[in-house]
Amino acid sequence: MFELLADGLLNVIQLKYLIPLAIGTLIGVVGGALPGITITMTVIMVLPFTFGLEPLQGLAAMIGVYVGGESGGLITATLIGIPGKPSSISTTFDGFPMARKGEPGRAVWLGIWASFFGGLLGGVFLIGATGWLADIALRFGPWEFFALFIFALSMVAGLTEESLAKGLLAGAFGLIITTFGSDPIMSVPRFTMGSQFLVGGFPFLPVLIGIFAFAQLMTDIERARSLAGSDASAGQLVNLAVSQTRVVGEILARPFLLLWSTFIGILIGVLPAIGGSAASVMAYDQAKKLSRHPERFGTGTPEGIIASEASNNANVGGSLVTIMAFGIPGDAVTAVMLGAMTIHGIQSGPLFMSQETTLAYGIFAAYLLAHPIMLAIMAVGARWFLRIVTIPKSILIPMVLVLCVVGAYALNNTMDSVWVLGLFGLVGYGLVKLGFPLAPLILGLILGDQIEVNLVRALMTDSDLWLFVTRPISAFLLALSVLSVVLALWQRRRQRRGPTEPDVDF
Amino acid sequence: MRPTRDTVAGLLGLGLSIWLFALTWGLPKSPFVPIGPDFYPRIVLAVTAILSLALIAGDRLARRRRQPAAPVARNYRLVALTFLVFGVYVLALPALGFRLATLLFLAGLQVLLEPPRSRGRWLTVAAVAIVASFGIFAVFEHYLSVLLPRGAWTGF
Amino acid sequence: MKALAWGIAFLSLAGAAQAAFPERPVKLIVPWAAGGDTDNIFRPFGQAFQKHLGQTVVIANIGGASGTVGAREAKAAPADGYTLFAVHDFIHLTYYTGVADTSYSDFRPVCSVASTPSVLTASPKTKWQSIPELIADAKARPGAVTVGATLGSTSHFFPAIVEKAAGIKLKYVSYDGLAQRMNAILGGHIDLTDGNLTQKGKVDAGQLRFLAIATEKRNAEIPNVPTFRELGLDVVYSVTRGLLAPKNTPDAVLATLEGACIKALAEESFARSMKAQGTEVLPLDRKGYGAFLDRVDGENKALAQEVGLLRR
Repeated sequence: MFELLADGLLNVIQLKYLIPLAIGTLIGVVGGALPGITITMTVIMVLPFTFGLEPLQGLAAMIGVYVGGESGGLITATLIGIPGKPSSISTTFDGFPMARKGEPGRAVWLGIWASFFGGLLGGVFLIGATGWLADIALRFGPWEFFALFIFALSMVAGLTEESLAKGLLAGAFGLIITTFGSDPIMSVPRFTMGSQFLVGGFPFLPVLIGIFAFAQLMTDIERARSLAGSDASAGQLVNLAVSQTRVVGEILARPFLLLWSTFIGILIGVLPAIGGSAASVMAYDQAKKLSRHPERFGTGTPEGIIASEASNNANVGGSLVTIMAFGIPGDAVTAVMLGAMTIHGIQSGPLFMSQETTLAYGIFAAYLLAHPIMLAIMAVGARWFLRIVTIPKSILIPMVLVLCVVGAYALNNTMDSVWVLGLFGLVGYGLVKLGFPLAPLILGLILGDQIEVNLVRALMTDSDLWLFVTRPISAFLLALSVLSVVLALWQRRRQRRGPTEPDVDF
Repeated sequence: MRPTRDTVAGLLGLGLSIWLFALTWGLPKSPFVPIGPDFYPRIVLAVTAILSLALIAGDRLARRRRQPAAPVARNYRLVALTFLVFGVYVLALPALGFRLATLLFLAGLQVLLEPPRSRGRWLTVAAVAIVASFGIFAVFEHYLSVLLPRGAWTGF
Repeated sequence: MKALAWGIAFLSLAGAAQAAFPERPVKLIVPWAAGGDTDNIFRPFGQAFQKHLGQTVVIANIGGASGTVGAREAKAAPADGYTLFAVHDFIHLTYYTGVADTSYSDFRPVCSVASTPSVLTASPKTKWQSIPELIADAKARPGAVTVGATLGSTSHFFPAIVEKAAGIKLKYVSYDGLAQRMNAILGGHIDLTDGNLTQKGKVDAGQLRFLAIATEKRNAEIPNVPTFRELGLDVVYSVTRGLLAPKNTPDAVLATLEGACIKALAEESFARSMKAQGTEVLPLDRKGYGAFLDRVDGENKALAQEVGLLRR
């Protein structure tokens, strides 16, 4: 295995892979640092550029974006107090106060090094567990997949902060969106009202881009008094000088915190369709609960930064395991990567590791190498990235919209996807205005088709409904789903008495 | 009394689920599939309807109001105009072709979001629009094997 | 600004009228996702085709709704030869089963490209080593043997023909596309499926079992696998893929495309990549492919009626 990994590293070190990886990481750092531009959007923008590349070149670029993006968000989060992307939300809780107290360099580099260590630890797990998970994945029949997706769906209860009913309703809307168009079994047109346009259904990516991009950009537009400016003000370009050894020491002096945050990140990453923002909030929450000084959280304690940043980078490793072993996306970013693999004719799934060994180890290697590259980029450019944050929104917003249109069109080479993009732009903005959280909606959207297909397959194979609870893996996963909902409800009750937690995501 | 946001949201959810539920009648059965294409959507829609009712009920019962956030002046006119400009752009894409439509869209939206007051700003607007629209098209066609739409009216 | 735009537009129109076809990249619509069987055949074809056409050929995957979204897009495209449509027998089936309104007669044939014979493939978790064992078992427990198939498409019709010829009753489970069917059959979640020679590696590794091939004669790549004919079952089935153009495409343009296509099919590299996929190159010209499509259309209509899926 380590021989294969060494081969993979040697392979990826070739310039033809290293260059896309480094460029991807750079774009990721920049995209991650720009407030309102999620990693998902950055990866979607990069996606069409990978069509013309070799599979591993394209995937290396996307992995670079993923790793760079998870790290880039922390610059804006700590220095300006605005999360550069959703999963750096909890970095702002302690990073910003620390920066305000006159230690911006320490805050930024704590985050960067925590990302680095968390990501590498996540990588070790990725390499150790993928083959093992692939063996289990072959045992997954329709019953097990159904139970797995129900378990993932049960996370909606824990993802919702404000109103449980609204979170669940948003998840249900996501499921409903997937029922439009041809039914996945017999291609019977469903809810098409005679329109040929609706027969194709609502393809996932245009819906996702539409909802996220418009919800974010339109909210910026409605709040702005002037769009000539940008989020950053030049006065914040502060001295980032800091003793690197001291910062690294601060992190390594807390091995338990680092490992536990990494573990949470990986776990959330492996579970399909949950994503980095939940991971970082959960890790932050855990760090606070387990800390001897919970009262220091929120005032600029290093633990808060470490927990948040280690977990969101480890989450990337976990998500990669899920697409490689199961062929199902762990979050929206890996959903795009899976699409890129399909475009290159690579079949992910249980056979991926044995059929595409070079590619699989190339992915591991790219993931591991992306971290030192990220570190180097940060060392050179941390202060420069802030200048990109200063692009006026009146230029940024039109450009982002054009890139969304190109991304949607290039995905399927049809204007239909662009109509869907626009339609769901309106829907997304409307939902945000009605106070619906978007994370559960996306969860429903990702899982909807799969839940239906596997339910029908199970019933087509054997009409016995008891199989869902008599097959051990399926029964275990369904029990976990119940447990996860009960736990979330119990935690909500407890939290309601305590101080209110910050909102997740949008 | 003015309906609150959650009630509106619940009513919308309820309306949507009832309307789609009505549409599930009339979906054909298949000779090969034990459950029809209406089976799964009905479950989802029923759950949606129940959740919507719960949302409305919760909102009506718990008169508990959170302190509204500090009022922010919201520029809904600009949002509506941006949506309108985007809609026109998408409609114009197949007719004018990617390059022309994007050029006009980029220029138009930049001016709409922040009307330029100096010559330098006008130049920036024009430069961004021209470089981005022609640049993206060329890069995609020549290097990335993606043919962005050509205009049905213009052939360009 | 506006005047400038129209000026550019006019110039480009004037240019287009003078140049000979093809003077810009040609878009080839593949109505399935990238990485599928059809895509894997048309990507190498596109490479060879553009060499002889003298213009870039861009593969545009327009998947969705059993290939009908791409078919609709191709039908609506301008009939100038710059948009072509990669097709296989699904177009007859989706038309007769009422899934789509697009028929092959909405297009004009350019050439046929390749033909892939079907191989009945069994999971290693089943106990059958041969077709007679399968038939005996299936007769003993009718409706219990499961087949993974894209319902209403070719992978459904092939087992349905076997079912009818052998007088057995199978149970169909929906698995869209070969990749999904392979994952399911390796895990033993389905018993049988429509496979092809691309799966030979897994058969050699003992992960799958080929029961019989639906050709006239045995295939040289897998000489141990009997044909259905040898076993007394009249099952010959293959999926033929070809190139179509929108209906009003001018004859001169069609002739250019046809010429480039026939030359591309003779390329050594294309033959090699088809062999790797267990597919035979099938170079029929416009006339030959047109006659072929007419014949297959009639056959598919009869087939749809026999298995009870005819909706027109």
